[in-house]
Amino acid sequence: MSRRPGFLVYGLLVAFILGSAFPIYWSFLVPSHGNDILTDKVPPLLPGGNFFSNARQVLDTIPFWHALLNSVIVSGSVALSVVVFSTLAGFAFAKLQFRGSNLLFVFVVLTMAVPTQLGIIPLYMAMADFGWAGHLQAVIVPNLVSAFGVFWMRQYLADAVPSELIEAARSDGCSMIRVFWHVAVPAARPAAAMLGLFTFMQSWNDFLWPLIALDQNNPTIQLALEQLQAGYYVNYALVLAGTTLATIPIFLLFVAVGRQLVAGIMQGAVKG
Amino acid sequence: MTLTRLPARRPEATAPVAGRPDRWARLDLKVSPYVYVAPFFVVFAVVGLFPLLYTGYVSLFDWRLGDDTAKFLGAGNYTELLTDPQFWNALLNTISIFLLSSVPQVIVAVAVAALLNTNLRLRTGFRMGVLVPYVASLVAVGIIFGNLFGVNYGLVNSLLDLVGIGRIDWQANRLASHIAIATMVNWRWTGYNALIVLAAMQAIPPEMNEAAMIDGAGPWRRFTSITLPMLRPTIIFVVITSTIGGLQIFTEPKLFSAMPGSDTGGSTGQFQTVTLYLYQSAFDNQRLGFASAIAWVLFLVIVIAAVGNYFITRRLAR
Amino acid sequence: MRQRLLATAIATALLAGLVTACGAGDAADSKIHLTIATFGEFGYEDLLKQYQTEHPNIVVTQHKVGQAAPHHKELFTKLAAGSGLDDIEAIEEGYRAQVMAKSDKFNDLSKIGPADAGPDRWLPWKYEAGKSKDGKLIGYGTDIGPLAMCYRTDMLQAAGLPSDPDGVKALFASWQTYFDAGKTYVQKTGKPWFDTSTQIFNAMHNQHDVGYFDQSDNLVVASNPDIKKDWDAVTQAIADKESAKLVSFGNEWQAGFKTSAFATTVCPAWMLGSIEQNSGPDNKGKWAVSSAFPDGGGNWGGSYLTVPLQSQHPKEAAELAAWLTAPQQQIKAFVAKGPFPSQVQALQSPELQNTTNAYFADPKTGALYAELAKKLTKAQYKGPADGQIQDDVFAPALQAVEQGKSATDGWQQAVAGAQKAAK
Repeated sequence: MSRRPGFLVYGLLVAFILGSAFPIYWSFLVPSHGNDILTDKVPPLLPGGNFFSNARQVLDTIPFWHALLNSVIVSGSVALSVVVFSTLAGFAFAKLQFRGSNLLFVFVVLTMAVPTQLGIIPLYMAMADFGWAGHLQAVIVPNLVSAFGVFWMRQYLADAVPSELIEAARSDGCSMIRVFWHVAVPAARPAAAMLGLFTFMQSWNDFLWPLIALDQNNPTIQLALEQLQAGYYVNYALVLAGTTLATIPIFLLFVAVGRQLVAGIMQGAVKG
Repeated sequence: MTLTRLPARRPEATAPVAGRPDRWARLDLKVSPYVYVAPFFVVFAVVGLFPLLYTGYVSLFDWRLGDDTAKFLGAGNYTELLTDPQFWNALLNTISIFLLSSVPQVIVAVAVAALLNTNLRLRTGFRMGVLVPYVASLVAVGIIFGNLFGVNYGLVNSLLDLVGIGRIDWQANRLASHIAIATMVNWRWTGYNALIVLAAMQAIPPEMNEAAMIDGAGPWRRFTSITLPMLRPTIIFVVITSTIGGLQIFTEPKLFSAMPGSDTGGSTGQFQTVTLYLYQSAFDNQRLGFASAIAWVLFLVIVIAAVGNYFITRRLAR
Repeated sequence: MRQRLLATAIATALLAGLVTACGAGDAADSKIHLTIATFGEFGYEDLLKQYQTEHPNIVVTQHKVGQAAPHHKELFTKLAAGSGLDDIEAIEEGYRAQVMAKSDKFNDLSKIGPADAGPDRWLPWKYEAGKSKDGKLIGYGTDIGPLAMCYRTDMLQAAGLPSDPDGVKALFASWQTYFDAGKTYVQKTGKPWFDTSTQIFNAMHNQHDVGYFDQSDNLVVASNPDIKKDWDAVTQAIADKESAKLVSFGNEWQAGFKTSAFATTVCPAWMLGSIEQNSGPDNKGKWAVSSAFPDGGGNWGGSYLTVPLQSQHPKEAAELAAWLTAPQQQIKAFVAKGPFPSQVQALQSPELQNTTNAYFADPKTGALYAELAKKLTKAQYKGPADGQIQDDVFAPALQAVEQGKSATDGWQQAVAGAQKAAK
């Protein structure tokens, strides 16, 4: 479809994005003015000039850069691992016939239905047994695979990879891993990129498990941000300045990954 | 999808050694799937299975947090649960919030994906724009929405006052609190689901749409007859994950409470979901056994709902 | 290929991260490594440095969490998991009952602590509160929250009520006079008298000999006449529109200070800072602290330092905890971050007695609170589920009444909830 969409499409999208972006904008607006605007009946819509002083206070109060680095390492490792293992497993479930594949797949999906809040106690026991408590492994290893990822890649690859292409490759003498690498991986790219982005963001915002498994001397960014709430008075402007700063790496990631989605279409269709 | 170019054949690879490539290929075919799915199950066995079994085991005891021994109850926790008014209250709240969030969410996500699938200018900007809510850290979400839905000073009530509708007690009123929480959930997750659907939409070969256009089919007809059916696996995925996630909603009601850090789900439990009740039982009431029973009953409810939704979606997206 | 490069880069970064993370572990030196877990602002940063200088063979690492709730979540999780607790764990008053229920997981500080950390160091009720049911000393008291009544002089004046320190003494002499004054205030101005019924109820409740549980851990919510009396008095005040219906420490409560939504609030020593921050510079000099607290004194909050059995160095940990809670050190912490000391000598010290707070109409707050701290004679016995009953049963029930539920229905909700919590 090379026709440009009409005004209605743009209008709806802009309305949707403005509506969903407003609360984020609000969380930037508050630190740029101060806590006063929280009680205003009609708050200002343009930013004030206080953001940088609040941001500087954030950097002075908590180990921001150390925590940021930790979060990048943790979320990056988790995202990479989930994408790799989910694409592998998703490909197998979607395209390969093997005994028990249906049962195993249902099992994978079912694991998502168990609430995880109680799991932190036995999981902590396990991490302590391995000697990982307080170290980044404790936060990375439990998240190396994701049922959600496997489920998604399987659904996506079921249609995105034509079976004929696999057969053609096999009959040409390709081993399965080469089929995977040359047929499945390129097809999976848009979904894999999104999965990586989602996993990264989810890991980035995780608080409860890092609270238990790590500590303030080796924190992830959410753990460090919690320290901004020390004491009986919560300085919302300071806290929101901190959370806004913490979202900057994610926005950078957006730019990098967003192009992958676009690139997906550019690549054109599969010639049957 | 990339136009795949098969690797140039290297003579050695296909030199027919008697019997060997055949057996190797068959072994490769047989074993590879298990090797590919193994990493998931290996990691899960270590970090997922143990907590699962532990929770199941603990649910049979009257286990208090921190105790070394506990009284064996058998099904005691489960029977207590089934006659527990707070549990049924939580289940009702959960279903209500789930319906208020998941149903509009899936519909809007598909609609937004369809809009994003067009030949927009600034495509990347729009696509990433819908994901912006997911960027917010949970602390920020709690502060922002606490501020928006504040009963006395919140922006929403100020707006309602201005327009003449009058203030709503978002905390006290059961339905209002559900709407507010569903709004939080939808705000956070709709763009996320839209991008999932979008990725699948882009895998649909454009020739099909072009052929239909040539045949004279309008955009709506093309959408319902071509796009939706081809999206079926993804829509099933979105419905099932929304069901599973929606019935486990925990963070949003916890953040919404006016009493900071409270797990009660409001003054009369008006927005306590089952997971929140589970959390309260485990960490506030310190009744780990009882909480584990809640977890497993919830699991059952989710499985039933997910299976049900799966069959419904399969029929609808025929 | 680019993907391979990316993967290698991430793997290297991960490895580097692991190496640096592994650096902070038990070093193979002969020093004793102690860890201490606190929340909020205990004011121990400089003190810990001082201790390490004075004890070169001991290394102390502090783990801080911003708020009490996540700190205690972590504490109970690690208690349940059987490992991971620090050598010294701070616990807060609100969670004391839950910790005491697990007293068998903590050391008896009277046995392993230094001899000079005896009962006479602390206010008697604070020392007693640190003991478990079977007499084990579980926690050394750190700070306390003696209750005073804070009021807005300008708002009382506008209603024709006395607003000078002596004048308000009559208003705040008893709960009866307090609520009556509130009725007058509401009649004259149509605005609420206090911020939240929950804290009034808690203050009233903690003054009784017997609380939610008797000494044998039987729940007495239904049978204890004092509880019903308090309930009736407070719900009557709600019906008289005396409550601003805010929730303590919620965002609207913070906003309520700025918008002058209420005229009085119970204020423990540690709340003065947040009153000032919340009310803002425009309201400077309008808030005053009265040493008259209805029906005597009260306490809200405060913490203890405990040494869990999990600790590998209990004796050294107990020594450090005793040192931190000695009057000298507690004064330094008070000067640094403000937690109000619970040690008798510290209360008499000039640093405390001369502390003033220029934001309030009557600046000599240090001496005022020191006096109030002595008014409490004994700590009420807190049964195991006391914290839940206070925060998860009665507070929501009162909130429900504020939101429109009838007082009788609210009472039934509270009694049923208490029975469930005590199970």
